[in-house]
Amino acid sequence: MKYLTILIAILIMAIFGCAQKAVKMTPAEQKQAEAVQAGKYPPEGGERLKEGGVSEEELAARERMKGMSGLSNLEAAGKSVLLDVLFEFDSYTIKPEFFPKLDEMATALKNQRNINVVVEGNCDERGTIEYNLALGQKRAEAVKSYLVKIGVDSTRIRTVSFGKEVPVDPGHTEESWAKNRRAHIKIDQKG
Amino acid sequence: MKRFKLTQALLFAMALVLFTTPGHARVYYDITATSFKKVTIGVPPFKGEAADRLRSDTTDLLNKDLDLSGFFITTPQSLMDKELTDEGVEKASIKFGNWRSIGIELLCKARLQEKDGDLAIEAYLYDTLDGSLMLAKRYRTRTDEWRRAVHRLADDIMLAVTGEKGINSSRVVFVSGTRNRKDIYISDIDGTNTKSLTNFRSITLSPSVSPNGRYLAYTSYKEGKPNLFVMDLDQHKEVYADRDEGMKTGTAWTGKATLLYTHTAGRYSTIYSLDVEKKERKVIQRNEGISASPSFSPEGTKMVFVSDMHGSPQIYLKDLVSGNTNRLTFSGTYNSAPVFSPKGDTIAFVARFEGAFEICLMNADGSNQRVLTSGGLNDSPQFSPCGRYIIYSSNKGGKQNIYVMLFNGENKRLLKFTEGEESQPKFVP
Repeated sequence: MKYLTILIAILIMAIFGCAQKAVKMTPAEQKQAEAVQAGKYPPEGGERLKEGGVSEEELAARERMKGMSGLSNLEAAGKSVLLDVLFEFDSYTIKPEFFPKLDEMATALKNQRNINVVVEGNCDERGTIEYNLALGQKRAEAVKSYLVKIGVDSTRIRTVSFGKEVPVDPGHTEESWAKNRRAHIKIDQKG
Repeated sequence: MKRFKLTQALLFAMALVLFTTPGHARVYYDITATSFKKVTIGVPPFKGEAADRLRSDTTDLLNKDLDLSGFFITTPQSLMDKELTDEGVEKASIKFGNWRSIGIELLCKARLQEKDGDLAIEAYLYDTLDGSLMLAKRYRTRTDEWRRAVHRLADDIMLAVTGEKGINSSRVVFVSGTRNRKDIYISDIDGTNTKSLTNFRSITLSPSVSPNGRYLAYTSYKEGKPNLFVMDLDQHKEVYADRDEGMKTGTAWTGKATLLYTHTAGRYSTIYSLDVEKKERKVIQRNEGISASPSFSPEGTKMVFVSDMHGSPQIYLKDLVSGNTNRLTFSGTYNSAPVFSPKGDTIAFVARFEGAFEICLMNADGSNQRVLTSGGLNDSPQFSPCGRYIIYSSNKGGKQNIYVMLFNGENKRLLKFTEGEESQPKFVP
């Protein structure tokens, strides 16, 4: 019985692994994928496993599936963002509230070695163009250096700064600006 | 017990004051810039054998050029009655008293001669006080290049009156486009002959042209990440590229064809000088954190740049001979985008001031800091080669546009080249 379960799991991974950029996820699906990554729900399509009386092999398979299915779902979706780390004005210091999410991402990356990420540094519209190009780079570098510090291979993380050229929110309020001061982390299609 | 705590508190407060007060004298912004008196000039409609349209176009363009210069008050056509405009062009036929009585100090009269696609403009500049002749010159050109001839006349009037030519024959490089699609353009400063120098279907920024006029530097995302390129403008091909990881922006040149650019990656920012022709690159400076926008003094012995080495973006001056670096800005938490005047005596920069980002000016030693603009998001100040003008971008009115003003902030004039958002303007040498 347990071998059948593992076989089904491998089949599912194979199917999702082959699906390329064509699939676009709805917000609901994306939410579920993120939840799966966080280990909250059972992997999509998989059988709900009982907690008690489970062998080590099964446990290992389950762990792999949790980490892999979440990221492989995102890979299938192509351009989904993994995380936005936000910053204070003129700062490239990572705020404490983002460390748990970065830790989670590092774990997921260590479990699935064929995925690389790109960190895009951005700024709000204030300040000078040139300085913001550099500041965006420092924001991306701050995220990269933390991930490297906790064990992710640095060759798997690219950094790109866009300065204030591509804000996610076109508004001119404090709220808009806060959203734009971000290191935008996504799966590296070129990686 | 209470007194002991109070003493502790006082000692702590003293320590705070001692350690946070900067060791230099504080400099304050001086909003009132020094002014100088403009000269009233009258340019009645040009005469001669040419189409009416050409005569009125040339007259209008000269008035516009003189207005742009910031040194003249031009006279509206409505103020000049028929008796004045019917006068001849030569001195003998001019009643200078009539011009003086309507407040005109200088008088420019011209006669056009257009034949078979060739144009000649005969121009005279008089001082109405004593009728003396300040300029008498003939300009020849193809008729379809009439604008060029008028610009030369305007520059010569500037030379006669102020001792230096104007900027009317200048060209400008700048960025134009929309959010995801920006390219580098070049244009005559009067808004004509605009053409794109890049066409990469991407975001391309930070253009600058070498002093010998041969090379264009820019940063482009055309390969998926910001890489720095130098293009030979004559051959329209790239002769240098920096594709290292990180941000590379080149913003200034020195000598004939030496580019200054910064590379931000990892912990460090590095400022390079790149001799494009010898293909030699040197490290000028490397420091932790951010350093950007390097600009050399005209003799090449000093460099200004912005850095966050003391926590917030501030402007520093490095003596390239001794290696000493001094901080120049102490007011406010954001001072950036410094650029040396070609005269070497002043530095323009951007400062966050009362919520806005303003173009400011200071002496080369950091003294006499003053605000030149008034509100909005202003950026990318650059001097004209003569040092008398500053070109910059501003988002006043909701759209990014390019403006030019005198170095003291007077006579701000909107320049328009394309329909897109325009930014990062620089005079072409």
